Amino acid sequence: MPLVTRNIEPRHVSRQTIPTNIRSELECVTNISLANIIRQLGSLSKYAEDVFGELFVQAGAFATRVNTLGERVDRLQVKVTQLDPKEEEVSLQAITTRKAFRSSLTQDQQMFTRPSLPVPVQDTYSTCNPPPPLNQLSQYREDGREALKFYTDPSYFFDLWKEKMLQDTKDIMKEKRKHRREKKDNVNPRTLHPRKIKTRKDEWERLKMGKEFVVPKNEISSSEGLNGSIGFDEDFNSDGFEQSTGSYAYESGSPLPPPGPDDILPPPPPDMPISDGGPAQQRLSLLSPSHPPPAPPAMSPPPGSRPNLSPPPAPPPPPPPSGFAPPPPPPGFDAPPSPPAPYFPSPPAPPPPPDMAGVAPPPPPMPTGGGPPPPPPPPPPPGPPPPASDYSAAPPAGGGHAPTSAPKPQPAPAGDGDGDGRSDLLQAIRQGFNLRKVEAQREQEKRDHFGNDVAAILSRRIAVECSDSEDDSSEFDDDEWSE
Amino acid sequence: MAGQEDPVQREIHQDWANREYIEVITSSIKKIADFLNSFDMSCRSRLATLNEKLTALERRIEYIEARVSIGTRLTLCPVYSK
Repeated sequence: MPLVTRNIEPRHVSRQTIPTNIRSELECVTNISLANIIRQLGSLSKYAEDVFGELFVQAGAFATRVNTLGERVDRLQVKVTQLDPKEEEVSLQAITTRKAFRSSLTQDQQMFTRPSLPVPVQDTYSTCNPPPPLNQLSQYREDGREALKFYTDPSYFFDLWKEKMLQDTKDIMKEKRKHRREKKDNVNPRTLHPRKIKTRKDEWERLKMGKEFVVPKNEISSSEGLNGSIGFDEDFNSDGFEQSTGSYAYESGSPLPPPGPDDILPPPPPDMPISDGGPAQQRLSLLSPSHPPPAPPAMSPPPGSRPNLSPPPAPPPPPPPSGFAPPPPPPGFDAPPSPPAPYFPSPPAPPPPPDMAGVAPPPPPMPTGGGPPPPPPPPPPPGPPPPASDYSAAPPAGGGHAPTSAPKPQPAPAGDGDGDGRSDLLQAIRQGFNLRKVEAQREQEKRDHFGNDVAAILSRRIAVECSDSEDDSSEFDDDEWSE
Repeated sequence: MAGQEDPVQREIHQDWANREYIEVITSSIKKIADFLNSFDMSCRSRLATLNEKLTALERRIEYIEARVSIGTRLTLCPVYSK
């Protein structure tokens, strides 16, 4: 049911109960109606002022932009007249060594957050009951998180997505390093696969018949059991990215038609109930369960049926929490995931597979789990056991170590120091705790630096991913975001 | 009966007149509200087109500036802002 932005107040002009002691009821009704009409006019004028105010603000912003543009044009004009072709230094080195022109594509982010609500809707919203003041209980919590976040957390999905992106960048970098090391070892026996020349011709062929019919190449190729990474690479061009960013941020100025005003918070991957053309969806879903594809180091047997990405694209866009109900990492991935896992036990479910891909090839069930799997959908579930300890955006490191970290160091040292010395065990435990606290603090600081800049996060991750799949893919990560 | 009808009739007549008056006013209020809505929508769409044109212009100008600036080839840094 759509929410009305501005509701003119006395909705029914004449529906009022008449006081019983009146003799001329008809006149009474008339007078009441007239009074209500005046009230309606009052609220109408208030809303009219609001409407014109919004339009005015927008127009004012445009006016300033136009002015600056005009000034720039004037300056350019002057400069151009001063250009003298003979004076210009043209050297071959200059052409190649100078940095190429990069257009700064600004895109909107954080569009549908609470602060960006229009004022009348905010007023309507404020008439609702506020949530119970659970934050008064926060002082009694040991892990220092806000108690209200367990009840209702508006920033939950964004934080989830942000964590996942950051984690993904880390994992991709790790994997890259590992990949390089392995590559160095195995260079000799392997036949070198020369890089395929990337051309857009294929893409344009597909677009030739009409953009609506574009079936992303991955679906075709993956059905043939090709190496997922190649399909992933080729789809990764600025057009594809723009499509995805078009679906990330429904900006009116985006080059491709945005799929429609779906109300999404910044976390693009999870909530994408879009029935957009295939490409956007594919792109998107490729990004989230993206670990299987970049994972395959060239040496893992490609010819083998590389289980493909086609199943994942469908599930991830629809309700993510349910779709990603705890994907128990396939058994083969159990032991190794623990290194990255200590802090993010369950969300690393997707990251570990890439690490493991070198070891155990098929991550078929992985794709479904590829997305951000909050353990059970209910937000940071009253949390000790499950991971979420570092999930919340306001994880205060101060409040003492997470009780969750307690069980972890314990099993390890507990196994060791049984007979040797209880004091050693205690020391080890204490050190473990201290280490974790410091680490937590450092991580938290790092996270604070990032802020809520979707753009930076995404672009960093995409860059890392691109450069992982191909070494010279810098041409594709050229998007910058801002609001 | 005639005497009774007169004042009642008069009253009812008066009431009908009042109602018509009120009806006129409320329908004009609705027209105003309609006008406001459509004005808002059309204004927003025009402003959006303007915005697109402005962005396109801005990009072109950036490119031209980069081409024209000889000694200092502009290196555009990503603009992160909210």
